[in-house]
Amino acid sequence: MKPSRIPLVTTGIVLAFFYLPIAALVAKSFNSSRFSPEWKGFTLKWYERLFERDDILAAFINSLKVAFIAASVSMLLGTSAAFALHRYKSRLQDVHRMIVNIPLVLPDILMGMSMLLLFIAAGVSLSLATVTIAHITFCISYVALVVLARLQDFDPNIVEAARDLGASRFQAFRKITFPILFPGILAGGLLAFTLSIDDYVVTFFVKGPGSDMLPTLVYSMIKKSKELPVINALSTLMLLLTFLLVFASQRLTRPVNR
Amino acid sequence: MKRRHFIATSSAALAAGFLPSCSGKSDKPTLTVFTWVDYLSDDAKASFEKAHACKLVIDTFDSNEAMIAKIESGAAGYDILVPSSYAVKQLESKALLQPLDHAKLPNLANIDKAYLSHALDPEMKISAPYMMAPTVVAYLKSKLPDAEASWQLFSRPDVKGRATLLDDMREVLGAALKTLGHSLNSTNSAELEAATELVIQWKANIAKFENEQFKAGIASGEFHLVHGYAGELISVQQENGDIEIVIPKEGAAFSCDDLCIPKSAKNADLAHAFINHLCDAEVAAENMEWIGYRAPNTAANAHLSEDFRGSTILFPTDELFAKCESIGYLDDQLPLWSAAWEKVKNA
Repeated sequence: MKPSRIPLVTTGIVLAFFYLPIAALVAKSFNSSRFSPEWKGFTLKWYERLFERDDILAAFINSLKVAFIAASVSMLLGTSAAFALHRYKSRLQDVHRMIVNIPLVLPDILMGMSMLLLFIAAGVSLSLATVTIAHITFCISYVALVVLARLQDFDPNIVEAARDLGASRFQAFRKITFPILFPGILAGGLLAFTLSIDDYVVTFFVKGPGSDMLPTLVYSMIKKSKELPVINALSTLMLLLTFLLVFASQRLTRPVNR
Repeated sequence: MKRRHFIATSSAALAAGFLPSCSGKSDKPTLTVFTWVDYLSDDAKASFEKAHACKLVIDTFDSNEAMIAKIESGAAGYDILVPSSYAVKQLESKALLQPLDHAKLPNLANIDKAYLSHALDPEMKISAPYMMAPTVVAYLKSKLPDAEASWQLFSRPDVKGRATLLDDMREVLGAALKTLGHSLNSTNSAELEAATELVIQWKANIAKFENEQFKAGIASGEFHLVHGYAGELISVQQENGDIEIVIPKEGAAFSCDDLCIPKSAKNADLAHAFINHLCDAEVAAENMEWIGYRAPNTAANAHLSEDFRGSTILFPTDELFAKCESIGYLDDQLPLWSAAWEKVKNA
């Protein structure tokens, strides 16, 4: 019997669905026409302009810094929250669970506005620091969610076994719990990183003078810029970087002796 | 071990890069401008920084409404705002702006008097006009060879399904009001009703109300007639010579972005110096050629290239310009317009 063609066709359609828009963007970044979707000749001028523009570079670096710090801090706090939620069951933990889950469903606009009002009421001047704090706030929930899922599959008996065999509490954590949970924590951190780097709504409200971020700058450029294809060039470069990162992480996480 | 070392060093490097940005800054004064992206030429920025030994920080927004929401809730640290004229009125009514001190702004004498007579703040009490451009109509010469510069183009049967109007209540109803010979900012319900009827006729003829795709649409020839902003359509025209841009003879909306100083500005003196700098004839001339809009600055005209000065779109005849109007702030009359627009959308 011939194998079914359906999986192949489905895969093809899904891949096209995901990657055709990206391919169009990459192609447009080399198109010399600024407006028309038609091909008007190959050019690298958008890439040249990209490297001449300090504002885009500065915004990109700001976004990277914030995303990196927000991901690191929310990995730490989110993991602690997941531990508490997993280990203790009480009325108070139910409240805690709700508090952790709410930011997942809370509209961004509400979150951005309320943070702005809070910062102003507290007399904090808006800067990169306020953006970072805001991003940590919504990232924690996502990290906690991912780590909690990992904890649910975690067999507590192996920690007890380690303790039985003479490991201290800290040793058991370092040698057993942490390595098992680490992929989950890292996955949560990566999720936090991507959420932070493309957040627009919350960022617009809490950003301060001189802390333009990539998403806010891109939105403004869509509205009123003579050099929109520069964005396509930037996206293409970011895409390339992402592919390289994914490739590298797959190489790094591949089991060594097989 | 190596990998951990890499993570440790890279995180240390990133953290080091992050910390100075929160604390230490050079002792030069800074002026923070909250504006649209690509809205100040590099030369204008550099010459101001040099003349006043300061650092100019540019922060961008993408809509007047979002900017107002932010300023209104108390976000401080901005010394200059560059909203559209109607948004200046809105900021003023919320008492968020400080009056301009004309003693510090000698270059305001350069501002075009003819423009000021149309402006929402004719005495420049709280704002100085920065850049303006009309809303225009663009068509393909090959498809509409006999076209005349009029809003009535939108009722021509040969553009059926090939035309777009902006998805903007003020622009479209305003155009219809102009066509009927009324004011762009009319709040007379009979006039508005007649305009609504006209827009509904147009709607039956056009492809859609559209704010973004019309540029690519007319560049590729998919649309034959579009309604859009002059600055953008002029750059589209540079790519497709078949495009003709006109200001309809009945008059059109002229939108202007203005410079103003929020009450919370830390450095009002430097902010005044900045406004004065941008109103300087030579700076304004260089700046407007860079941006591609027109600064209403009479003294600057002498410094413009012939090519730029010759644009009939940015520099219409006095007669035509007299028929153009700024989009005003409707305040409590807004529901009247919203209802009319709702009717158009549901028709």
